[in-house]
Amino acid sequence: MTYSSSLSVNRQSYTKRNQNAVSFRSREKVLGPVSNTIILVVLACLLGLLYLTQVVKTQSYGNKVFALQQQQSQLQNQHQNLEVSSAQLQSLDRVQNSPVSKSLASVTPSTTINN
Amino acid sequence: MNMNNSNKSFNLKAIRNINLIFIFLMFIIGFFVIRLFYIQVIRYSYYKQSALNDQLVQSKIPATRGLIEAHDGNQIIPIVLNQELFTVYADPSLVKNVNNMADKLVGVLGGSKSKIVTLANTKNTRYVVLAKKISQSQSDKILGFHIPGLGTIGQDYRVYPQGDLVSQTLGFVGDNSKGSYGLEQSMNSQLSGKPGYLKAITDINGVPLAASKNNINISPVNGKNIVLTIDVAIQKQLQEIIQNAAQSEKSPLISAVIMDPNSGAIKAIANYPTYNPSDYSSVTNQNIFTNAAVSNSIEPGSTLKVFTASAALNQGVIKQNTTYYDPSHWLIDGFNITNIEEDGGSGIKSVEDVLNLSLNTGATWMLMQMGGGQINLKAREAWYNYMTNHFRFGKITGLDQGYESGGIVPKPDIPFQSGDQQNLAYANTSFGQGLSVSALQMDSALSSVINGGTYYKPYLVDGTTDSQGNIAYNKPTIVNRDVVNAGTTKSIIALMQQVVSKHYQSGFTYLNFPSNYIVGGKTGTAQVPDPKGGYTDNIFNGTYIGFVGGNKPQYAIAIFVTTPTVSGYAGSYGAQPIFGNIVHMLINESYVSPIGN
Repeated sequence: MTYSSSLSVNRQSYTKRNQNAVSFRSREKVLGPVSNTIILVVLACLLGLLYLTQVVKTQSYGNKVFALQQQQSQLQNQHQNLEVSSAQLQSLDRVQNSPVSKSLASVTPSTTINN
Repeated sequence: MNMNNSNKSFNLKAIRNINLIFIFLMFIIGFFVIRLFYIQVIRYSYYKQSALNDQLVQSKIPATRGLIEAHDGNQIIPIVLNQELFTVYADPSLVKNVNNMADKLVGVLGGSKSKIVTLANTKNTRYVVLAKKISQSQSDKILGFHIPGLGTIGQDYRVYPQGDLVSQTLGFVGDNSKGSYGLEQSMNSQLSGKPGYLKAITDINGVPLAASKNNINISPVNGKNIVLTIDVAIQKQLQEIIQNAAQSEKSPLISAVIMDPNSGAIKAIANYPTYNPSDYSSVTNQNIFTNAAVSNSIEPGSTLKVFTASAALNQGVIKQNTTYYDPSHWLIDGFNITNIEEDGGSGIKSVEDVLNLSLNTGATWMLMQMGGGQINLKAREAWYNYMTNHFRFGKITGLDQGYESGGIVPKPDIPFQSGDQQNLAYANTSFGQGLSVSALQMDSALSSVINGGTYYKPYLVDGTTDSQGNIAYNKPTIVNRDVVNAGTTKSIIALMQQVVSKHYQSGFTYLNFPSNYIVGGKTGTAQVPDPKGGYTDNIFNGTYIGFVGGNKPQYAIAIFVTTPTVSGYAGSYGAQPIFGNIVHMLINESYVSPIGN
């Protein structure tokens, strides 16, 4: 078998009738305008979604902060009320008028008698 | 053919209908476009503002007013606190069933249903206050009713757990959140702090949107907590002592000050009558609001002889043991200066006699010694210098109180009043008439005389506390280190001790103080100026200044009793018993360290 005959045999196995023996397929893949638009829209949506998740997340933290501030305020009020109650319970008037105080006997210190 | 024609006409009709629908839709769309253009472009500002009004919250965040604390032995206890109380309000236009609302409110608050009904039926208003100063739990119950148009607003109020304790010194805070009288007024800016500011876009629940970049949230700076020099136990007992005295002596006004003479710190300061600052609105006589010990100047009478003696001793024109011939009257500018009946008549008298017998002629004699033997310009100027620059009469002390009176001291070279004879006027000042001072001024001046000659500015604020409760104490302020010298202090302490001792021996048995304490004092009975001119003959004010201590005086005490009804001199029988009670209290309750400790 000559070299040319061997080529001919090889070609026969790949080519068919009415088919070009050589194809010029472009290797560079380019997206069309529709694809570009869709991708841009999808990206914009993703960015928007990202923004929304962050905003919602921030706001949920804001809500938590607000709730904690409310709770802090309530606790401060309770603390304030307890302080007031404590001070009122320990007031001199109340102690003076307590049954224990009233049952105490008045004693003049002996040192004041001797002059 | 007919078939084709009918199809054609059907198509034309359909096209026409479609066109009509299209035109109609375009008209609708056009309407919306125009409407949107109108809303979003032309009425942009209006709707933006309207939206902001719903979403934007702008408010001041109130600062918490500083607490006021005081000493209780070694402890610091609060005497003025804050408590959030609530105001109940209603919008009459929104309340549907007034009777039902009133029933529910009376169930929580008590009181009169008819009053609530009347208020809730008020016309032409959208805000009526139904109740004030209700508690948090009451507020919660009321809000739990969910009655449209009914609500509560919280507000901080001052609370006074010790009732009327030191009330005139504290003052009070009005509904406008501003301090009135006393410390609340004089220290309003420090106590009130600085309000914060909130500007935020909120969601439908009123929660600020965290992502809004224009939010402003400036935290408030709370007011400073202050600690007073006052000792509550001493203060409480002082108030009881002067209240009992005012009632038994029928005095319309008694003031007393107890001071640490070695620092100027005021341990107790009281007036009677007084009031409860939590119920200040019920006070009808506004004079009760003022701290009379600070704001009320009167002619002190013979207690001033202590200062005449101090000035003469310090100038070296007399000595503690100097004697002189007292004629029992001096004729000055044509007027006789005399003594009370128990002076023992004319004869040789000592400096001790001048204070013990309270000789007006003796005080006049001391003034004469400042002028080289007679009352003249030299004597007047020397005495004026001591009164105003050494003892600081005629000048306010600068205590943290509103409405302080500096009193009046006549000038040495200008007649005090038109027609006054200056030598006579000055002779009068030597025994405490013709000038006016406050109890605070007397106590501050006495402190400077008995502590070795240092005039401390009297003070009430011992320090400020931070959020951790740490106290930054204020240092005493020295105004003058050379009021008198140490020798004068020693002499005056001894002379005043002699006065107390002699009074005890003469029958004032309550002056029986233990010998391991030093107690000195001086009475004063002052004639009261008559509004028509001159002095009244039958009305007197009683005053007393004195000290108690161990190795050195530890408390300086000044007492002013206005026109007491007593059978005797106002000083000896009106003011002196109060001094006795105060000193017994201080000694018996171990506030004073005895000699040797």
